[in-house]
Amino acid sequence: MTVGREGHSQVGSGAATRVEAEPSAGSAIRISNVTKSFGAPGHGPTVLRTIDLTVRENEFVSLVGRSGCGKTTLLNIIAGLERPTSGTVEIHGRAVRGPGQGQGVVFQQHALFPWMTALRNVVFGFRDASLSKSDKQERARELLQLVGLSAAADKYPREMSGGMQQRVAIARALALDPEILLMDEPFGALDELTRIELQQELLRIWEARKKTVVFVTHSINEALALSDRVILLAPHPGRIERDLAIDLPRPRLRTDPRFIALHEEIWKGLSS
Amino acid sequence: MNRERLTNIALPLIGTLIVVAVWEAASRLGAIDPRVFPGPVTAIAEAAGRLSADTVGEHMAWSLFRVFSGFALGVAAGVVIGVLAGWYRWFGLIARPLIELLRPIPPLAWIPLAIIWFGLGEPSKFFIIFLGAFFPVVTATYHGVTNVDPILVRAARTFGVGGWSLLARIVLPAASPDLATGIRIGWGLSFGVLVAAELIAADRGLGYMIMNERNTGGSVSVIIVGILLIGFLNLLTDAAIGSAIQRWIGRWHGSGV
Ligand SMILES: Nc1ncnc2c1ncn2[C@@H]1O[C@H](COP(=O)(O)OP(=O)(O)O)[C@@H](O)[C@H]1O
Ligand SMILES: [Mg+2]
Repeated sequence: MTVGREGHSQVGSGAATRVEAEPSAGSAIRISNVTKSFGAPGHGPTVLRTIDLTVRENEFVSLVGRSGCGKTTLLNIIAGLERPTSGTVEIHGRAVRGPGQGQGVVFQQHALFPWMTALRNVVFGFRDASLSKSDKQERARELLQLVGLSAAADKYPREMSGGMQQRVAIARALALDPEILLMDEPFGALDELTRIELQQELLRIWEARKKTVVFVTHSINEALALSDRVILLAPHPGRIERDLAIDLPRPRLRTDPRFIALHEEIWKGLSS
Repeated sequence: MNRERLTNIALPLIGTLIVVAVWEAASRLGAIDPRVFPGPVTAIAEAAGRLSADTVGEHMAWSLFRVFSGFALGVAAGVVIGVLAGWYRWFGLIARPLIELLRPIPPLAWIPLAIIWFGLGEPSKFFIIFLGAFFPVVTATYHGVTNVDPILVRAARTFGVGGWSLLARIVLPAASPDLATGIRIGWGLSFGVLVAAELIAADRGLGYMIMNERNTGGSVSVIIVGILLIGFLNLLTDAAIGSAIQRWIGRWHGSGV
């Protein structure tokens, strides 16, 4: 496997090197006092209000909340696709000014480029200018293998099932070798079986690659199966309601009484 | 699947044959006057007697050359202006009202101006045919560029792709199905105004062949054969363009255009 953690400073153009001695060392993402409203300042409803959240390196954090409570908006702000109205987001101590600073994103719909094969979609993900075309192809094949899709390299997105498309999207995001992986309900449109399969794959990849993951879902089971921490967002305006550490060993069984108790707790938090 | 393909080919052929047979029968039974509307067999025989295959071939070649030239110019201008109008907001704000104002004008209405501007030679004909291709292509390109799925743009941005690179690598390919539709419609319109363009004092081309026959009191058979040739040529070239488009985007886009 040549796609390693080495060389992840390639992301972004002339990005500053990591400041290891920051007081925030060990925290991968630091969201401070983030507020977001769309439209002219002072107008439009507040979508997010005073969000403070720190995600540690290699932590798997889920955002759970009703639809419309601002999960996607918060994820987009971390991704640098959306600017906060006020407040700051830092990744490894660097202020986020836009996308391509080490954030890999997997969207709810696969968002693959339909005119590219699976392989070319993943090749697109390599932004490192020092890699030759054949290097990129070789590494893209390795990533497709990692997500279990070696055989589908030459298929176009429309020729793949939803589960396969999402696997390619994950491989493409990994091609950036991102420090953090942001996932917005990536398995929301999949059937139950495929969904569970991909959850297991994701855990395997996360453990092998040691990524920091922020994962949006509206499935309590999914959040509990995957996360080190579950953040409950409350709507109108979007704000953090609870921050639950999930201290269960993996793989987790839904029949585990502690799993059930946590499920109950989150459920209560969401419906209050 | 195979059976369906067979049906798809056989039925149109059978339908055409029936129409031709009814036409021939009607002429033989005297239901239509052969002096103004000869049957297909008579028409082809008479036309073949009056014109050599070489002459017809030359007229066809000239017509095709004009359509291709005008069409190529129209597509080139339509793509460039459509992309710029879709990509630069300010340019779109300037260009779109103008395009919307001129678009509904039938290309034929430009003929008098075309003669004044470009004279009676080839350029005035190119211009009319150009208009036939330009408006569908510019409209479809603009639509394609401004309607790219925003999720694709966001996805590209997460890889640090922006600016011209975003246009070339994401927006243009994403807009290509719309572009293909515009090209296909533009080809049909270009062909449609061909005869009219060749009415501008041409001395060759299928349009000239038809009008010349009428003006010199020649055979109605030549006119009928000429008209059918135009339809036939259009059909063939359209099918060729359709299959080229299919090869271009069919595999990833699914259905053709
Ligand atoms: N671009 C936008 N312009 C205006 N309002 C928006 C925009 N994006 C999201 N919103 C609003 O912000 C709120 C949160 O949206 P979103 O972050 O998508 O929620 P979630 O992902 O939790 O379902 C919603 O009320 C939505 O209507
Ligand atoms: Mg959402």
